[in-house]
Amino acid sequence: MKRSILAWLAAGAIAVAGSVQAQEAPKDPEVFKIGAILAMSGKADWYGKVMSAGIQQAVEEINAEGGIDGIMLEAVIEDHKSGVAKEGVSAITRLINLHGVEAVLTSFSPPTLAIAPIADEKGILLLNGGGVSTALVGASKYLFHNRSLASDLGRAAAKRANALGLERMAQLAWKTDAGESVIAAVEPYWAELGGEVVATEFMEVGAPNIDTQIAKMRASNPDWVALWLFSPDPGLAMKKIREFGMDVPVIGIEYTDDIQKVGGRHMEGYEYTSDYFTSSDEYPWSQQFAEGYSERTGADPEFYAANYYEAVYVVAEAIRRARAEGGDYWDGARLAEMIRANPVFDSVYGGEMTFQENGVAKKRVALFRIEDGASTFLDYITPD
Amino acid sequence: MDLLLQLFVNGVINGSHYALLGIGFGLIFATTRIVHFAYGPIFTFAAYVGWYVAGSLGLPVWLGLLAAIAGGLGLGLLSYVAVYRPLELRNAPVLVPLIASLGLYIVIENLVGVFFGSGVRVVEDLDYGIYFLGPVFFTSIHVWQIVSLVVVGGALWSFLRLTRYGKAILAMTDDPEMARVIGIDTFRIALLVFAIGSAVSAVPAMLILLKDGASTHMGFAAVFMAFVAVIVGGVGSLKGAAAGGFLLGLVQSLGLWQIPTEWQASIAFVVLYLMILLRPEGLFGVRWR
Amino acid sequence: MDYLLHVLVMLCLYVILASSFNLLIGFAGLFALSHAAFYALGAYATAIVATSLGLPFPLPLIVAVAFTAAMSVLIAVPALRVSGHYLVVVSLALQIIVIEVILNWTSLTGGTDGISGVPAYSIGGWRLDSPGRFLIAAGLGAAVCFWVCWRLAHSPFGRALRAMRENEDAAEAVGKNILYMKVTVFAFSAGLAAVAGTLFARYYTYVGAQSFTIDETIYILAMVILGGTANLWGSVLGAAILVFLPELLKFVELPVDIADKLRLVIYGLILILILRFRPEGLLPEPKGARAMFVPVDAERQAADSSDLFAGAQGGAGDVILEGRKLRKTFGGITAVADFSIELRKGRITGLIGPNGAGKTTAFNLLTGFLKPDSGEIVLRGESIGNRKPHELVAAGVARSFQDLRLFTRMTVIENVLVALPRQAGDDIVPVYLRPARVRAEERANTARAMEILRFVELDAKAHETAENLSYAEEKLLVVARLLATGAEVLLFDEPMSGLDRTTLEEVFPVIRRLAENGKVVCIIEHNLDVIKELCDVVYFLDEGRALAVGTPDELMNDPELATRYFK
Repeated sequence: MKRSILAWLAAGAIAVAGSVQAQEAPKDPEVFKIGAILAMSGKADWYGKVMSAGIQQAVEEINAEGGIDGIMLEAVIEDHKSGVAKEGVSAITRLINLHGVEAVLTSFSPPTLAIAPIADEKGILLLNGGGVSTALVGASKYLFHNRSLASDLGRAAAKRANALGLERMAQLAWKTDAGESVIAAVEPYWAELGGEVVATEFMEVGAPNIDTQIAKMRASNPDWVALWLFSPDPGLAMKKIREFGMDVPVIGIEYTDDIQKVGGRHMEGYEYTSDYFTSSDEYPWSQQFAEGYSERTGADPEFYAANYYEAVYVVAEAIRRARAEGGDYWDGARLAEMIRANPVFDSVYGGEMTFQENGVAKKRVALFRIEDGASTFLDYITPD
Repeated sequence: MDLLLQLFVNGVINGSHYALLGIGFGLIFATTRIVHFAYGPIFTFAAYVGWYVAGSLGLPVWLGLLAAIAGGLGLGLLSYVAVYRPLELRNAPVLVPLIASLGLYIVIENLVGVFFGSGVRVVEDLDYGIYFLGPVFFTSIHVWQIVSLVVVGGALWSFLRLTRYGKAILAMTDDPEMARVIGIDTFRIALLVFAIGSAVSAVPAMLILLKDGASTHMGFAAVFMAFVAVIVGGVGSLKGAAAGGFLLGLVQSLGLWQIPTEWQASIAFVVLYLMILLRPEGLFGVRWR
Repeated sequence: MDYLLHVLVMLCLYVILASSFNLLIGFAGLFALSHAAFYALGAYATAIVATSLGLPFPLPLIVAVAFTAAMSVLIAVPALRVSGHYLVVVSLALQIIVIEVILNWTSLTGGTDGISGVPAYSIGGWRLDSPGRFLIAAGLGAAVCFWVCWRLAHSPFGRALRAMRENEDAAEAVGKNILYMKVTVFAFSAGLAAVAGTLFARYYTYVGAQSFTIDETIYILAMVILGGTANLWGSVLGAAILVFLPELLKFVELPVDIADKLRLVIYGLILILILRFRPEGLLPEPKGARAMFVPVDAERQAADSSDLFAGAQGGAGDVILEGRKLRKTFGGITAVADFSIELRKGRITGLIGPNGAGKTTAFNLLTGFLKPDSGEIVLRGESIGNRKPHELVAAGVARSFQDLRLFTRMTVIENVLVALPRQAGDDIVPVYLRPARVRAEERANTARAMEILRFVELDAKAHETAENLSYAEEKLLVVARLLATGAEVLLFDEPMSGLDRTTLEEVFPVIRRLAENGKVVCIIEHNLDVIKELCDVVYFLDEGRALAVGTPDELMNDPELATRYFK
């Protein structure tokens, strides 16, 4: 009902404006439906849980403030069963056809790569806040990432190791595109820094047993161990490394509550590079997110939840800007245009972030260290 | 050399884990001829029950183990009574229980996710010994994995040979028809093996929880390796299931001595492939003796 | 709208996958769980040929199908040596190995990233890049693949597959080339899966290994079992249910964080419930007259079956099949030692002896099921020691089994039909290229099969399923099936055991008439009355040797044998 009246009004407005070269009145939808295609079941359902919680929180916050110019936001969460391409495609067709979404928050490479051509074809804005492997960069002209490239985080970790005067690196990576793209980026960089790779081991996502990998790394006698792993496996790796009697520095690219739980006391001294997120008094928005999240879920805010929370705000801001220009603005291609035209957005991590030409947001990369069971900020770090 | 030794020890430890899983699965499989895929999520469920008691409520670990065994046993019995038994009564073709089992697999795995939530579950602040024997490292949990195989395997072995029910199980393994003819209540025996098999799986489940933590999807690897161990060792053989488990563990560990770890998932299967072709009857193609 | 069309495209893909998998599982009874691996090979072959090499349609499709079929043969041949649960595990191993090789061979397959940018089909600039347009290609592909499956299943080759599923040895004993059938059906099944793979690559324009894991094989397997094994429409129905059900469940509103897990729970429960109430699958294997490929009026036609009942040329009493000094040991135990036997035209030869004397082993040696350690087997003057059982059947030597080994889930007439010799439709090429000839032959064969059934007086039960027969009828069917092979030398392993006197009286003339028509008949028998009544010459075996040879009367009057055996 509301829609038809608005449409009628809009049509009337256009008719009136007619020959006058005035700005077109915005054609508003009844509600802004934003899709999300996440790992809601399967091996990596933890990601789906925290990401969807972040999305829901952002949507509720925005709606509590009256939505976007009075129009409410709604999130539709779909499942890609932890990275199955065809599930992603089914999901996005459902989102487009049954829900009329124009913006989709996506995660995991295989489903994202499979839906990219559809997004191109239909003009759907895609925003990914999960692991960013190099294969995803530029997969679609409407695809943006509000997380640093995994390879950039890896290179930052390598830079830290170099600064510590370490030379012999043993690396343990996920056998996924994310893990492999870190290796591909770090190896030449590490050689440039004069380092040596003494062992490269792979593990399956959530592998039940990595004793063999750890034993081989120990036998290679490294100065430090690089963990190109994601939650919760850095915890398991850290625990095994210490149990096996290796006391060399370990540097990774992720840290979450789950990692801490699995690694327990063995996490002490673990260093990692990450897009900077820690709630502090300095940044009221980050604090608002952290409190809201804890209230919703009873858990500390997760890095991935923050990314998807932030992504909703990015989409909302893009909608706001597009609407201001009027016309048939509820359109993924238009939203993407808005982001490209002015790629600077507020970041929940504090300050601002800028989407680069390749669609990847440039965020500050920071170095942390686990001390007394808590993550402590050490420094910002920028790989050359 | 140090590495090879360490890999050997790892192989023995993982092998005893697979062996124990294989024994539980194999007992059910050989006796009832049901490919019980839901053994995997029941293993997972047992680990989560153990976590709830020992990790969440903070009660002693042995209580967690008991709860895990009770949980696994209960769910195992339920799956037989609710899913497989009706199919048996309707004389369903052999493939049907297998697909029903896959359905049950999906149901249990996702229910565990719904009830316990996603993400890894660990028993925090657990203190256990870490030992070095020369260059070789192991923990007291590793020792427990081997001890549990010896204890559970030994107990089961004696049970099967010495008790009336054990002998009835062996009779049914040999020939279910004949067992029925000589007056064995095959329904009760099937219940019994589901109870024992599921209870056995709870032991490695609890140890994996303590060692690496539990996750909702870990049942797949468990039932898969158990199945393979049983086939490799020879269906119907307790010794065979254990030997098959050790073989898998050792191959998976020692095989990666020179081969890159990216091949971890398939190395055991390449060996398995070759082995079955060379020796199709399994290592021990005999009875549960 | 696109959404529904997308789901229909998925349905087309899964119809191909499920019906081709059904050929393997339902018809051939080969429980090889590596279908998704072949699906993957087809998808990757297409992606690589179409992107890296840039070849136009239909080259990628041809390469994908040919490559996948070839690969399946290469890896399947060793795997097919094992059966039952071993085949399950070996093929699961295969599935895992294939996917891991794809993941690790990064330079060719893109590794974990997969391959993006596979060009969509285009017809003169009209690109099939939306679900609606692609549905044309997918529907066409599904129709063609389903037709290929249908043709295969409803041919003598398909019937032979089902016979092989019921009993491999018995299928071989009626002259079927087991290896040829297994390899062919495997290659077909894999090749068709590759068609689904090529459609996958073209539709998604992206291939990644995640889509082809064991889960996928299990998903397809569930479609086959749920729909009904050995029923191709069942596979279509199974595919439809398992494609639509998860999509329908998406419309069930549930709390977001656990919604998709709960949907899977419901999905699993529905699967269990359907199986509980329809254990044979929703559409069971066709039974009775519906199992026939030609109208039943063919059964009433006159048939020329003279060649089936008569022996080949030559005078009565000529030695046709001869075993010379045969020897066979099993791990130190000598089953047959220095055993010589002559089977003559028009004569009925009996083999008697205590249990474990080596009678059945002697049969196995004479019919090629076992190879002798030493000694020679001669058929019409030609040494045949190295031939396989099915080759011997073609050459004129066929046998029955003590434990019958009927094709129990096939009809009576099918049991006979499958055994008829020299069927063009046993070869896969005429099935597709000369359908008219295969059909005409099938009509003629149906009439011949009916004639044989009349001969053993089972014609009234032609469309009964073999497992529903009485014991005596089963025995008669064994005779009918053996007759149908048209072999000159017929070896019966205890054809009379367990029959009462009245039935015996019915079977005797049947066997006598065979000998009178010039067949060479050899029977293993315990019943001395039967021996006396039927046999012209009797071999007495003990501990693998022929202790005595003579007429029944001579042997029974032998005082030594009398004490050892005839009490």
